Amino acid sequence: MIRRFAVRCWILLASLQVTIVSLVLLMALVVLCTLAQTELGTLGAVNAYMRSWLVMRQLQGLPFRLPLFPGGALVGLVLVANLSAALVRRFDFNPRKFGLWVVHAGLILLVAGEFVTGAFQMDARMTIEQGQTVDYLESYHQMELAVSDLTDPAHTEEYGIPDSRLKEGAVIALPGTPLTLKVKRFYVNAALSPRGPNDPPSLADRGVGAGVTLTEAPPAASDKEVNATSAFVEPVAGGVSYGTWLVSTVLGAPQTFIHEGRTYLLSMRPRRTYLPYSVTLRKFSHDIYPGTDIPKNFSSLVHLSNPARGEQRDVLIYMNQPLRYDGKAFYQASYGKGDTLSVLQVVSNPGWLLPYLSCALITLGLLLHFGTTLFNAIKRRQEQEAV
Amino acid sequence: MIRIHPTLGCTRPGPAPLAALAVAAGLLLGLGCDRDQVSHATVAKEAPAPAPMAPAHAGGPQGMPPMAMPPGTMPPGAMPPGALPPPPRPTGKGALKWSLPKGWTEAPGSGMRYATLTPPGGGKAEMSVVVLPGPAGGEAANVNRWRGQIGLPPLEEDALAALRRKVPSRAGQVAVYDFTSLGETRTRMVAGLLATADGNTWFFKLMGDAEPVGKAKPSFIKYLETLHLD
Repeated sequence: MIRRFAVRCWILLASLQVTIVSLVLLMALVVLCTLAQTELGTLGAVNAYMRSWLVMRQLQGLPFRLPLFPGGALVGLVLVANLSAALVRRFDFNPRKFGLWVVHAGLILLVAGEFVTGAFQMDARMTIEQGQTVDYLESYHQMELAVSDLTDPAHTEEYGIPDSRLKEGAVIALPGTPLTLKVKRFYVNAALSPRGPNDPPSLADRGVGAGVTLTEAPPAASDKEVNATSAFVEPVAGGVSYGTWLVSTVLGAPQTFIHEGRTYLLSMRPRRTYLPYSVTLRKFSHDIYPGTDIPKNFSSLVHLSNPARGEQRDVLIYMNQPLRYDGKAFYQASYGKGDTLSVLQVVSNPGWLLPYLSCALITLGLLLHFGTTLFNAIKRRQEQEAV
Repeated sequence: MIRIHPTLGCTRPGPAPLAALAVAAGLLLGLGCDRDQVSHATVAKEAPAPAPMAPAHAGGPQGMPPMAMPPGTMPPGAMPPGALPPPPRPTGKGALKWSLPKGWTEAPGSGMRYATLTPPGGGKAEMSVVVLPGPAGGEAANVNRWRGQIGLPPLEEDALAALRRKVPSRAGQVAVYDFTSLGETRTRMVAGLLATADGNTWFFKLMGDAEPVGKAKPSFIKYLETLHLD
């Protein structure tokens, strides 16, 4: 009984029907995800539709979210299992089917490539003013609670707690320091304003946050908006509480406290990734067509400095000509401050080759399969004509 | 030069969909952990550190906190928050003058600071001068901000009088407070504020390790007595 059920499941898993349904669902997901971008923004839609098990939506009148559609991760997983099962089930050494094996392998690689991209792709920015040297990347979407130990006159010890860990009630110890951060409240997005006489007292009793009224706001929906990520945190060290502080990406004032002679600066900022090399912006150019305001070219002349490798060189980054270095591509993305500031988009994807490889495999497999079929058909016809 | 250390363990697994791929699970869980880790980097200081002594409500006359951008409007390529424009520096008759105590050195300030003074004798001690327009939050708020910086609890306004020392000068009376932190390495702060007739508030803060600050305190008081506007 169980064996028969298992065999039926195995046959179903390896069936062409599952392949077709999975591909149709993937097509539907692409359409739904594209439409959802107007409401959720690009990353929000991709996360909700393509990188999820189930597409969860909250319907009006219901206090919880309902699964409305299989997510891209689930469909992709089923498709990989289906193609793998089909390969195993129909596996034989018949050279006539070699092309189909290659096609299957290409499809598996294509889906697996998306998992690799989802897991390993890094997309960040580097913002540099002319003359400034920068040795870190900033995340577009992830924030961090930064604790900077400013005590050493030559160095700053930078600690970054990712926003994914800033849950209400979380207690986070900073390694190598006596500090523990207690998270009292965390807001993905908030509106901040000066505290009025009738406003309730702030949760913060230290720093500028004591004079601020904070109202929770819905997370930024479109790509043009940025969350004002904020948190109330209480640093504790050596059994001493240093009060409750408000940190926010829209608060500019430096907020510091001193413990055992060491000065710590608290801030909320885009998640940083420090690099073992630095980039200096020598000149940003915004060229226009003569006599018009139409942009002709944007370019950044940067100096790359990597003392560990003994590298010192100038590089010109311009449209579609990124700097490729250390597994990352630095693209010209934006500019500002009267053409004295350049924004580079920095992309790193260890799986970037997989889609190309899979497409090549699928093409090769189809050519092999159709070629073999054509060859056999011609051969059969010649044999029939000979008879 | 930067040293980057991945630190701390992971407290939650990686993205759920990835965990399902048995072959990739280990790698992907490892990646998930990495994204959730507290990062740590030792970064060389190339520019002066942000002034850690900006008085409360430095952003505006009504106590408006300095805000980098209104919520939800910061473009992706905008300058990172924290770029607070320094207040205008008083010039001419509004610029406070003083006599430097013997052996002290003076450097022009940057950012929020008007000047930085260093007492002789080594050790960790430094004095900052900051000037802001208006009352800058008031005396009690600033005293409690100072106390908060070294881990001391805030005080009620009524309690300030007992701790206040009034130092006369030609520019006006300076309200001076002396606080020392708890702990094994004690930080001492001797700080004063002066409201001048032109509406500005000047802040003088001598801070550092308890011993060198204690030695420099008499000179600091003498320095305050020399303040004048004309």
